[in-house]
Amino acid sequence: MTPPHFAFSATFILALTGLVFHRTHLLSALLCLEGMMLSLFVALSLWALQLDITSFLASPLLLLAFSACEASTGLALLAATARTHGSDRLQSLNLLQC
Amino acid sequence: MMTYISCFFLGGFILSMVAVACNPSPFYGSFGLVAVAGFGCAVVVGSGGTFLALILVMIYVGAMLVVFVYSAALAADRYPESWGSGGVAGQAMGYLLGVMVASGFFWKEEYGVLWGFGGSVEELAPQRGDIGGVSWMYSLGGPLLVISAGALLLTLFVVFEVTRLLHRGAFR
Repeated sequence: MTPPHFAFSATFILALTGLVFHRTHLLSALLCLEGMMLSLFVALSLWALQLDITSFLASPLLLLAFSACEASTGLALLAATARTHGSDRLQSLNLLQC
Repeated sequence: MMTYISCFFLGGFILSMVAVACNPSPFYGSFGLVAVAGFGCAVVVGSGGTFLALILVMIYVGAMLVVFVYSAALAADRYPESWGSGGVAGQAMGYLLGVMVASGFFWKEEYGVLWGFGGSVEELAPQRGDIGGVSWMYSLGGPLLVISAGALLLTLFVVFEVTRLLHRGAFR
């Protein structure tokens, strides 16, 4: 694959791995989710720019708008967690003790 | 020369994401995400999308990451972990190793790095490159914009309900 294709694919998989293996903070997982959306933005932009399909250049903007929605929902969950459990550390989310 | 610059920005993109994926603390993760956005902006500029890169920097770094940094300040440790603590350095080495192994399989040199000006035309048209593409969103994609605005309004109400701001305000 071409280097830019490899770059955003590797970035997406790295951010996905960081999301899966986050250790202490919930906010670290949200940051990795934002990294995934950023790599998708770069992927859509490069796809539309390098193939000269100008009508697909609106899709990165819409992706960015919905990524902002997702980030705000994630941060609202973080704020709710920090309110009830005191912090966003994952050790305190132990209601379902298994 | 341009190939070297493009490869530098692509490499920086991947390495900053390694730093985000194994961040010891959200402060360092946010800083790494700023670096990823900067390198990604440079990659998109190198392919001719100057307007999209500007949008990325302004909206992503200027608005969303500022909110993330405020949230990190809200839910912060008094003594945040640094890069040397825990197994963070080992994780970073593992991710770098994985990237290098994958690039050994997938990064083929004969393709080179494409760079250019998006939508190059012979004469100077009123709409060139990515600005012409984005303006389609307003002309033919008008209904899509209305639906997206409805989705954003819905997200606002979702945030209100998750944090119970409408019922009880900021009191606990």
